[in-house]
Amino acid sequence: MRLPDRVTGLFLVGLGAAAAYGGWQLPPVPGQPVGPNVFPLVIGTGLALCGLAIAFGIGHSFEEEEELIPVEGGGQPAPPTGKFYGLRALLPPALLLFYVAVADRLGFIITAGLIVFVTSTALGARWKLSLPLAVLAPIGVHLIFSKLLRVPLPAGLLPMPW
Amino acid sequence: MLNTLAQAFALISTWEVIIAMFAASVYGLVIGSLPGLSATMATALLVPVTFYLSPIAAIATIVAASTMAIFSGDIPGALLRIPGTPASAAYADEAYAMTRKGEAELALGAGVWFSAVGGIAGTLSLMILAPPLAEIALSFSTFEYFWLAFLGLMCATLVARSSPVKAIAAMFIGLLVACIGIENPGGVPRFTFGMTDLFGGIEPIPALVGVFAVAQVMRAMLTPEPPPIPRRKFGSIMAGQWRLTKKYHVQMTRGNIIGIIIGVLPGAGADMAAWVSYAMSKRFSKEPEKFGTGHVEGLVEAGASNNASIASGWVPSLLFGIPGDTIAAIAIGVLYMKGLNPGPTLFTEKASSMYAIYLMFIIANIIMIPLGIIMIRLASYVLRAPRSSVMPVIMLCCAVGSFAIGNNMFGVVTVATFGIIGYVMEENGYPVAAMVLGIVMGTMIEQSFVTSLIKSDGSVFPFFERPIAAILAAMAIGALIWPVLVWIWRRLRREAPTAASAR
Repeated sequence: MRLPDRVTGLFLVGLGAAAAYGGWQLPPVPGQPVGPNVFPLVIGTGLALCGLAIAFGIGHSFEEEEELIPVEGGGQPAPPTGKFYGLRALLPPALLLFYVAVADRLGFIITAGLIVFVTSTALGARWKLSLPLAVLAPIGVHLIFSKLLRVPLPAGLLPMPW
Repeated sequence: MLNTLAQAFALISTWEVIIAMFAASVYGLVIGSLPGLSATMATALLVPVTFYLSPIAAIATIVAASTMAIFSGDIPGALLRIPGTPASAAYADEAYAMTRKGEAELALGAGVWFSAVGGIAGTLSLMILAPPLAEIALSFSTFEYFWLAFLGLMCATLVARSSPVKAIAAMFIGLLVACIGIENPGGVPRFTFGMTDLFGGIEPIPALVGVFAVAQVMRAMLTPEPPPIPRRKFGSIMAGQWRLTKKYHVQMTRGNIIGIIIGVLPGAGADMAAWVSYAMSKRFSKEPEKFGTGHVEGLVEAGASNNASIASGWVPSLLFGIPGDTIAAIAIGVLYMKGLNPGPTLFTEKASSMYAIYLMFIIANIIMIPLGIIMIRLASYVLRAPRSSVMPVIMLCCAVGSFAIGNNMFGVVTVATFGIIGYVMEENGYPVAAMVLGIVMGTMIEQSFVTSLIKSDGSVFPFFERPIAAILAAMAIGALIWPVLVWIWRRLRREAPTAASAR
């Protein structure tokens, strides 16, 4: 997901301009020179200016390239590079949104089990590890958060006995 | 004072506090030692648990977990050359070189011993610095608060190991996030896009969990698994540490002082302290040629430094609500939640709670020595846990924890969103710590800015009229133009040798 500075910079220009415009549109407090509109205006303008500077590569010389620490002994398997490989990174947030969407209906245990199974498999676990983990981890988390800390987790289809 | 101290002892000698502290210590040691799980993440995931604890126990868990995690990051650094937390990255190479020379015990022992010394030095600085600063801070008006917050934000952008322009942009993004909601001078819904969930604004804690925990799981999806640790038997871990203390007491003290200073600076935390101290140690060493070949000197200084910064990072947090580092940013959230709103009056009205915090820091650093030794001996078992079994549990904690903050599914959406934002920013060189600072300080800086503007009737001059405000303003503006000066200096220096070689 490494984007050129020009792209991120121009995105920030857009974001800043939108924020400044949005702030400017806010109604002022009657009889007062400054209200809720000033701060977004300042921030938005600053952000847009920074975006411009980034797009033109100002300050790039300060960036340090991240050093990759090679591991001693034994060649490391090269990470597979496919067109969609980078999209794997979006899996965790997607799973969290999945949780938001279905947890109330399916209940915590089932949803959490699915999340654990998918995450674990995506990270290279065999089913011998990921399946027991998908059963035990939700129960453990439920025990701590629902029983001890009284967080009202959705019961759904499979309520826990406690 | 003795009376307050006795009250503080009474506050912390309850079973709840003791158990919370012990459990958080073990938790911090384990999370810190697992590569890819940072001390900030450990602390962020603790927050939902602190809801259900008494104020002192809640702070105890944060103090204990963060202290332990910063030390514990040294363990995989020494054994695998993979730092457990970013704070150990500065000297992971050096520690690993020592392990290869057969001095793993000495390297790890130095880690635990000098971390404890550093932590206690940091606590002393907190005890000595905070009360007099609180006296001064009592006379601050909104002008001073505005400049102080501004200076804090500028410091955060200065110390980022990235382009200062990107750091400032990240800070602005954070401030923009803080604009969301109806908590603004006019009380009107701002940037809520008609969504009622956004009326209350973005809670800092789910945002932090997203940026530090979810983004880390996202990164794990694309990086190969670290190799398993070779099984080894350890000899005596503390042997030789006293000799090192005597031999390198100058380095140790210098490390402590640098750590304290960097900790107090907003936004700069343990990782920065370790980098600066390691570089300093090499620069002033009598035998700099030994660095990188398994020489303990740099470890002593940097280890003493990164733990010192943890406690001193609480100084600006407790006094002004300006976080000294990302861990303190989380601590501020917990302080507000527990009715210990940061501010100078905390030191007069809630003095016993403050003493309790000092005591907890000292206790945490003392029990770190035995617990740390046990952890080192167990490390080969703990580090064997595959990433594919740890990360799913982290995911569950993110989901449940962010839900628990408001018993509201919107928290989970926030975590997911900030996971993506944090991941994309980090990948493109935008330091997330600066954004976090912006989010945490946004409301405060806007309030002081707008109130000041109302008081001054829209004029800018009163911002510079009060003496302390003027000094702070000069420092803040200096921090703003500093990168420009560095850039010009670098340009001049680069041009000089090319001109010479052209001739």
